Amino acid sequence: MKLTKFFTTILPAAAIAVAGFVSAPQAQAQSLLEEIQQRGTLRVGMSTFVPWAMRSKEGDLVGFEIDVATKVAEDMGVDVEFVPTAWSGIIPALLANNFDVIIGGMSITPQRNLTVNFTIPYAHSGQQMAANTELTEGFESLADYDNPAVTISCRRGATPCSLAQEMFPNATLRRFDDDAQAFQEVVNGNAHATISSAPKPRFWSAAHPGKVYVANDGQNLSKGDEAFALRKGDPDALNFFSNWIRVNTSNGWLEERHNFWFQDQSGWIDMVALEQ
Amino acid sequence: MDRNTPPPPEPRKRLTVLDLFLFGLVIAGVAYAAYRVNDVLVYNWNWQRVFDFVLRWDEDDGRWVTNLLLQGLFTTLRLAVWATIFAAIIGLIMGYWRTCDGLVFRIISRAYVELIRNIPPVVFIFIFYFFISSQVFPALGFDRIDQDSPWVDNTLFWILFGDPRLFTNFLAGMVCLAIFEGAYITEIVRAGIQSIGKGQWEAGRAIGLSRTNLLRDIIFPQAVRKILPPLAGQFITLIKDSAIVSLISIQELTFLATEVAATTTKVFETWIVVGGMYFMLCYSLAVTFGHLENRAARSRR
Repeated sequence: MKLTKFFTTILPAAAIAVAGFVSAPQAQAQSLLEEIQQRGTLRVGMSTFVPWAMRSKEGDLVGFEIDVATKVAEDMGVDVEFVPTAWSGIIPALLANNFDVIIGGMSITPQRNLTVNFTIPYAHSGQQMAANTELTEGFESLADYDNPAVTISCRRGATPCSLAQEMFPNATLRRFDDDAQAFQEVVNGNAHATISSAPKPRFWSAAHPGKVYVANDGQNLSKGDEAFALRKGDPDALNFFSNWIRVNTSNGWLEERHNFWFQDQSGWIDMVALEQ
Repeated sequence: MDRNTPPPPEPRKRLTVLDLFLFGLVIAGVAYAAYRVNDVLVYNWNWQRVFDFVLRWDEDDGRWVTNLLLQGLFTTLRLAVWATIFAAIIGLIMGYWRTCDGLVFRIISRAYVELIRNIPPVVFIFIFYFFISSQVFPALGFDRIDQDSPWVDNTLFWILFGDPRLFTNFLAGMVCLAIFEGAYITEIVRAGIQSIGKGQWEAGRAIGLSRTNLLRDIIFPQAVRKILPPLAGQFITLIKDSAIVSLISIQELTFLATEVAATTTKVFETWIVVGGMYFMLCYSLAVTFGHLENRAARSRR
């Protein structure tokens, strides 16, 4: 009886499951570059993150990332197709061939690099600190913040909080649920400074001139390297995208676009339905 | 009990003062909670920004145009309609096989139902999407449909499937939902067929009907009446379940809502609006199906 049950239910179920995995065909020898040319479209995986990629009031995609990907496609002589993808599933989606390349402000990390190939970086973002002008008067270096009398606010569970702990172990940390609240504390004078991903602190300080400024002479506290991510095993495509970045770094195009989106919001705030 | 005891009074159908008082208390409680939210939460409510993503006034054209959230709602509706059709086909075949005499058919259909029903939807969707759909669709050529062909480049295609550029994306979500919901419909169909009394089968056989005739003319017409109400309920469930496919980036309502929330940073407003949209869709369907059921019940007499 038991054996019959095994044959009637479990075995076919297992067989179907196994068949799904085994039937995967081998990767074709053709390079991604030829495939893109033949198809006539470059499929780009990305995810929404201000100001890298966001939705305009019309519902269209705009942002630094979008400019970069559009130019890549233009230089290849093909159309661009954006595939908005949930960030948590973006690497599996790349491996499953849902798009050709991730251009999504992805930072290079050794762990990710074990699964995907990275080009050379095309942007350098990082964490910035916005400080209350009045409270931090006389502070000369970042070391002055490492003091129990100094309060630093940050968003719970995000990179800035761990960075604050690492850089200023003696400072008092106050955690909030979102960036806006953490920043509000600095404006109100309840906290000396707040840490967040660039360029948000700069946008905030621009909105409150004289009250708030970007600490560390406006420099980032930490530096990240963002690059395109590709499937492994295709040196030709990796070479093409890396050199595309090299060329557009040398001729200043990447810097100019980066400045447009990251330096201040004045150029695009009207396009996007953003909090001012 | 004495036969002279008067029958118990009819249940009251009007609200008393106490009922109204209790309702008032609940409403006051909700209102107080809503009021407190603003105290606890340092948050600037801005509904207009989210409403703009539902409908937008186009300055250039001088007319209202649908924006992301409403487009997402249409995609969700298309997804649900097509997935229901395919799930019904799968369910009908598999449900019939479940009641077959042939062992092979029973094994296949049983394996299908148990496999789908005993893994969480999210896990199924990930396995399906990353292992199966990424292999099967390119093999069938669905990933490169000709967007300029007269079959694709017309209004009917738009109404039925939405944007041709997102066709593969749509198809993946639809097939995934259909296979998933098909397992539940299989069980509804099986229950419907098995609910027909043994006497019907025996009577049919006694007058010499073949199995096909018996099923087509006697069992099935009766089973369909029993199947339809739970099928309608499953359709509504399917609309709600379709939110899960946002995890594999199908461009439906829930996925587009995450995009809108990330862009506008108006998280609460976005999800409340989206919740309202799902409610309106599902509730109006529930009312419609309830209406149809009542009519069907009357016409049967």
